[in-house]
Amino acid sequence: MDKLSREEVLHVAHLARLSLTDEEIEKFRVQLKVLMNDIDKIKEVKDYDDEEMYTPVDTNARLREDVVGEMLNAKDAIANAPCKNGNFIEVPVMINE
Amino acid sequence: MTNYVPTIGIEVHVEVKSKSKLFSNSANTYGMATNTDVNVIDLGYPGTLPTINKEIIKQGIRAAHILNCNITHKMHFDRKNYFYPDNPKNYQITQNRTPIGTNGYVEIEVDGIKKKIEIEEIHIEEDTCKSAHRGNVSLLDFNRAGVPLIEIVTKPCINNSKEATSYLTKLKELLFYANISDCKMEEGSMRCDANVSISKDNTLGVKTEIKNISSIHNVGLAILEEINRQKEILESGNTIKEETRRFDDKQNKTILMRVKETGNDYRYFIEPDIPYLELTDEFITDALKTLPLLPDELREKYKKIGLTPLQIEKIIANRALNSYFLGLLEYKTNYTIAINLLLSDIASYLNKHNKLITDTNLTYDKLVTVINSLESGELSNKNIKEIIPSLMETDKTLEQLKDEFNIKNITDNSFIKDIITKVIENNPDSVNDYKNGHDRAIKYLMGQVMKETKGSVNPKIANDLLIDTLNK
Amino acid sequence: MSKYLDLSIKEIHELLVKEEITPLDLVDEALNRIEDTKDLNAFITINDKVREEAKNLGKVDKDNLFFGIPIAIKDNIITKNMRTTCASHILDNFIPIYDATVIKKIKEAKMLIIGKANMDEFAMGSTSETSYFGSPLNPHDKKRTAGGSSGGSAAIVSANIVPFALGSDTGGSIRQPASYTGIVGMKPTYGRISRYGLVAFASSLDQIGPMSRTVYENAALLNILVGEDDYDLTSANRVKEDFTRLIGEDIKNMKIALPKFFISDIVDKEISNKIKEVISYLKEKGAIVDIIDMKYLDTAVTLYQIIAMAEASSNLARFDGIRYGFREDNTKTVDEMYTKTRGEGFGDEVKRRIMVGSYILSGKNAKIYYDKALKVRDDITKEFARIFKDYDLIIGPTTTRVAPLLGTSKDDPHKAFMDDVLVIPVNMAGLPGLNVPIGKNSENMPIGLHIIGKAFDEALIYKLASFIEEGF
Repeated sequence: MDKLSREEVLHVAHLARLSLTDEEIEKFRVQLKVLMNDIDKIKEVKDYDDEEMYTPVDTNARLREDVVGEMLNAKDAIANAPCKNGNFIEVPVMINE
Repeated sequence: MTNYVPTIGIEVHVEVKSKSKLFSNSANTYGMATNTDVNVIDLGYPGTLPTINKEIIKQGIRAAHILNCNITHKMHFDRKNYFYPDNPKNYQITQNRTPIGTNGYVEIEVDGIKKKIEIEEIHIEEDTCKSAHRGNVSLLDFNRAGVPLIEIVTKPCINNSKEATSYLTKLKELLFYANISDCKMEEGSMRCDANVSISKDNTLGVKTEIKNISSIHNVGLAILEEINRQKEILESGNTIKEETRRFDDKQNKTILMRVKETGNDYRYFIEPDIPYLELTDEFITDALKTLPLLPDELREKYKKIGLTPLQIEKIIANRALNSYFLGLLEYKTNYTIAINLLLSDIASYLNKHNKLITDTNLTYDKLVTVINSLESGELSNKNIKEIIPSLMETDKTLEQLKDEFNIKNITDNSFIKDIITKVIENNPDSVNDYKNGHDRAIKYLMGQVMKETKGSVNPKIANDLLIDTLNK
Repeated sequence: MSKYLDLSIKEIHELLVKEEITPLDLVDEALNRIEDTKDLNAFITINDKVREEAKNLGKVDKDNLFFGIPIAIKDNIITKNMRTTCASHILDNFIPIYDATVIKKIKEAKMLIIGKANMDEFAMGSTSETSYFGSPLNPHDKKRTAGGSSGGSAAIVSANIVPFALGSDTGGSIRQPASYTGIVGMKPTYGRISRYGLVAFASSLDQIGPMSRTVYENAALLNILVGEDDYDLTSANRVKEDFTRLIGEDIKNMKIALPKFFISDIVDKEISNKIKEVISYLKEKGAIVDIIDMKYLDTAVTLYQIIAMAEASSNLARFDGIRYGFREDNTKTVDEMYTKTRGEGFGDEVKRRIMVGSYILSGKNAKIYYDKALKVRDDITKEFARIFKDYDLIIGPTTTRVAPLLGTSKDDPHKAFMDDVLVIPVNMAGLPGLNVPIGKNSENMPIGLHIIGKAFDEALIYKLASFIEEGF
């Protein structure tokens, strides 16, 4: 069957920051290939208008006046964080600084 | 050693001044309590969307203009996707394909030779949050998340560390003067990265990136050290690796942070939450209207009114005082006396009290009467020192202050003559010295005159009268 | 037991005005119905404060048709202090601290939020089977899907638990489940309703819309949902209008197009036949119906896959277990925190789509796939515009088949998209589209008609839909 290599799955899993079990990797080797075949059909579309492209929304963006609005207190700001430390949110140490 | 030509490109990030943040309306300020200068947008909450701060677009236009860039009239924003805990949405909204300014330059002068440092592009983007590291955890404070930044990227056209520091000094001065950024490297409102490579021929060598150098001076040192390091590697027959380094100023060398992954995969795409932005000529003109005179324009102007190069640099170095001085130029008065007064007694008063001149009661009208009195000799520099606090802090006129401080009409020549006669009588030795051609004696005698009058006479008038009397 | 909720909202409103019933009666009846239909698994969260809210609603406003009317909200729309899960493990304990703009409008209209409706995880799927909370069932046949991704919302309205639900439609997610469950579902023009507070799946396609039992009630609800929002730059600035205003008008000389693709052999015979009956009926009533050729319709699914997966990979990056949501315990490094949290927190459909989406945007692929898809998408928009020069509306079947049995498309990543082949083109062009029931097939399952209008021409869609609802 048409499928991706293990490495190809692990590469896109890394881009999306997903840990996968061996079982998942095997499953996705096939399933991701199906989707990649689907999207490859775009390459066959020939008869299209290749003009300069901006954004999907075809209007001019409104600009906001420079005025300060309401802000959260620290308690609310971190209320949903699963790991807090005082008024900070805690994560494992960031290397690569 | 073979001659290597260094090629250097510099990326600068500055935090842009405004009241609110770039894509949300929380405050764009520094130093608030942990996680209180935030809203749901800054925290990247699900369902939230960005809005654009008009003032930041204007600041971008101003920056593009003063850096001689072409201003992009139709632009959009892009997402730069990368996972990092200081990046709340795990993508940063930036401008990748349509930066607000392109193809600009900053003119510098090194050892008398002028050179244009070419700017590839400048773009607007949002800042990340702040992180602090404690053992095996890091702590996140999102106050900085969403603060507006402008990134300025030069072409790889810088050839040595002197050009680099000269460029950065000039850039900082421009952005500071245009009121675009505070440019405080110590507070992180200006950050510099340098890309350095060396080569013996026209091909570009492998470059290394030195990240987040802490001062302009250190950028110069870091580049020198990095060039030396690369030379040694090449001379010993090894090759340079593409890597990110940092500069340690205590050891005076660059230190490896990480080897670059092959091609950063930022998965840029057009930010779909923000429609395109088309700037009208009217909007651009409006943004540029508030631009103050910039340092080079000021230098030209000040030269014409007769300030010395030292005075010019000193007043330009103090933006608030400069802006006050510019206002004074609307009045006809002696600008040399004015600049001396501003840069000495007034500047030290302001420094001592940590005030801006606009916070004081020194109106232009009052200052002009002071300058005129100094010019005519009715007021001495010593008088100034006495009355400065009252001059700055009260509404009293100069006349009122003269009365209050008992400042006599010291231009009264007969009063001065009396004192001179007395001094000459009491110092016959010095008078003899003078008559024997020892010019230095005059200084001593003047000193005595000033002592007798407690410094309240106009020294120029007194000096002239003293010489007159001695020569009789 | 009372059956007030079986009445039209006009009738309910009259009873409320005459004080024969109270909002609490309606809420209690709805809560009983929820209890009785528990097996439908249509809700993720019931609002445990809704009785309190009903009691405190104040005096009935006789000019407000929606006063005290209960509504269900798809669980990807943010509700302050009420759990919002997006049917995902990664948000299963997430209590938002703000309200979506539509929720503010619902609350201003004094409607009562009865609970949060089940859906496909992050709206990714076409049968609601990707929900972390298990799939909702079709009230017409519990062995069948209620469709997706707004399957819970559709089941709730179809079973008449409450008269209204909000859904969201990225690639058919309102219209397809409406068709499968025999209700009215409108995806308004992109920009009609603020997306602020709708958890983004594909930002350039997502749109919130009303789901209801009748066309009139749908149009009436749309009246209160629309409007430009300062918090959503993609929301449109339009003059206020009454979407019910054309309902009841004659359709004589109305020009209607039916693209050949919509009745090609991909469509089930019974459904095609039903559409042909509708055509005959409309012609009989004086409308002009032409079968036409239309380009690009067959490429829409491919474009949708590319655009939706790419945008989703970026939109879902923020779910990292830092600021909100689930975080895997005892992770030692940043990378481990990300990968384990997301590996554990997301289901298969989401994982597949964000992996392929990341691939689409990676390096040179962004140009090959995403940029090209946007350009072809622009051509679809132009193709629709071409048709709308000659026609008022476009019609076709909403789905190629009636609601399939549960379990038939699970683990088939391709099928999930093909269920929406007829409705996806509308999202590509940002146009309004509506499903109105037109009868049942031989298995007694609902069949729906899809009506597509010009941008911002929802009122005309409602006119035709109501005409068919009344007469066909």
